[in-house]
Amino acid sequence: FPLSCPTIKVHISRRLTPSPFGRPSKNQRRGDQRSKAVPSSQKMSRRYDSRTTIFSPEGRLYQVEYAMEAIGNAGSAIGILSKDGVVLIGEKKVTSKLLQTSTSSEKMYKIDDHVACAVAGIMSDANILINTARVQAQRYTFMYQEPMPVEQLVQSLCDTKQGYTQFGGLRPFGVSFLFAGWDKNHGFQLYMSDPSGNYGGWKAAAVGANNQAAQSILKQDYKDDATREEAVELALKVLSKTMDSTSLTSEKLELAEVFLTPSGSVKYHVHSPDSLTKLLVKHGVTQPAAESS
Amino acid sequence: MSIFEYNGSAVVAMVGKNCFAIASDRRLGVQLQTIATDFKRISKIHDRLFIGLSGLATDVQTLYQRLVFRHKLYQLREERDMKPETFASLVSAILYEKRFGPYLCQPVIAGLGEDDKPFICTMDSIGAKELAKDFVVSGTASESLYGACEAMYKPDMEAEELFETISQALLSSVDRDCLSGWGGHVYVVTPNEIKERILKGRMD
Repeated sequence: FPLSCPTIKVHISRRLTPSPFGRPSKNQRRGDQRSKAVPSSQKMSRRYDSRTTIFSPEGRLYQVEYAMEAIGNAGSAIGILSKDGVVLIGEKKVTSKLLQTSTSSEKMYKIDDHVACAVAGIMSDANILINTARVQAQRYTFMYQEPMPVEQLVQSLCDTKQGYTQFGGLRPFGVSFLFAGWDKNHGFQLYMSDPSGNYGGWKAAAVGANNQAAQSILKQDYKDDATREEAVELALKVLSKTMDSTSLTSEKLELAEVFLTPSGSVKYHVHSPDSLTKLLVKHGVTQPAAESS
Repeated sequence: MSIFEYNGSAVVAMVGKNCFAIASDRRLGVQLQTIATDFKRISKIHDRLFIGLSGLATDVQTLYQRLVFRHKLYQLREERDMKPETFASLVSAILYEKRFGPYLCQPVIAGLGEDDKPFICTMDSIGAKELAKDFVVSGTASESLYGACEAMYKPDMEAEELFETISQALLSSVDRDCLSGWGGHVYVVTPNEIKERILKGRMD
């Protein structure tokens, strides 16, 4: 390709991109101009990744994959299903002393009385989706006068996410969720969903940074008939192994559990920093923080 | 025959010393026929806030469900319960939204606000708020209730005395109204507990 000469570059790039959708967009042309001697598959991807709503020639949706990349850099979250509850644990990325932590949490959110979720990815995208999930749960309760089944809630939220990969021209949400909940049909459940709108039910799952490492440790150490305490222990151990930071203190973690109270109602409980510290010490997972200078 | 008198109802709320009481009758009728004697007109929004709805029974149920919807979302976003004054404004706004096709009910709202100060109010079916310091009434028996409450009420009653007063006022008023009665349902709420009691009056 005579791509060294600027004018011919523009001319040839137009002819070589017979886009079925008409003229290629400005981004695509600029992408071609910038690429020098690169393999053709990469050059092809440059043309197909500006828009979410078109497939690449290899049959991939690049925007969705890039969204998942964004999540791979975010704080991790792990969920573990046990026979008497579901445990969610998250790694907090923002741990400045200046942060006003008295009220809201960064990783764990309540969707309804019987469903909670842990978040990994772009927080502002997560806030929109959490609000959507909350409204969907309430609309179901208004219509049917009973709590929304967990899978239906996850499904309806994932349908929203899928819409952003097929029409509208808007980018996908850069969030993965771990939903933990209880309903009377299937008891305790754990679901993982990703930006493509795909979801699955899991016994143990991890999202965010180092999730593959966490997933493989979970595969080895997960036991089907674990109790909630054992699940908490496993979650803390896995997170301590996969977290990047040198010291594991309660300020960097959030731990939440979904379980049934003796009276039979579902409770979502987020551990306080003190209770977390006690658990870290109990399971021998805490490492002393570096001496403050 | 007014649509507000189709099902029959009586709701009253009274303020006591750091407590409040809200009471309703239990009859559900279709004009002259009694259909149920355990109809719930008062419902809990959260541990310190109750709403009693009088008027058309279907709107009583649907309006309550809509309010639960809004309150649950508020609770999730604000991470706290709604204050009674705020809730009253919400009810008023929801009712006014349907200004030209209204919900045919009159709510009575009773709650404990900041510093355990009791709050009561009522409104008409299109959301005109009426705040009161002593008692509020609504329903087909409202005229009798006004008279009975005015006579029996005195300020700063404790929970037990408040219960007696509101029960007597309710039972004597519904006895003068053919469309409400068949017992009473009384909630007395103090900062520490909610006491729910069923009254047996003239079962007619």
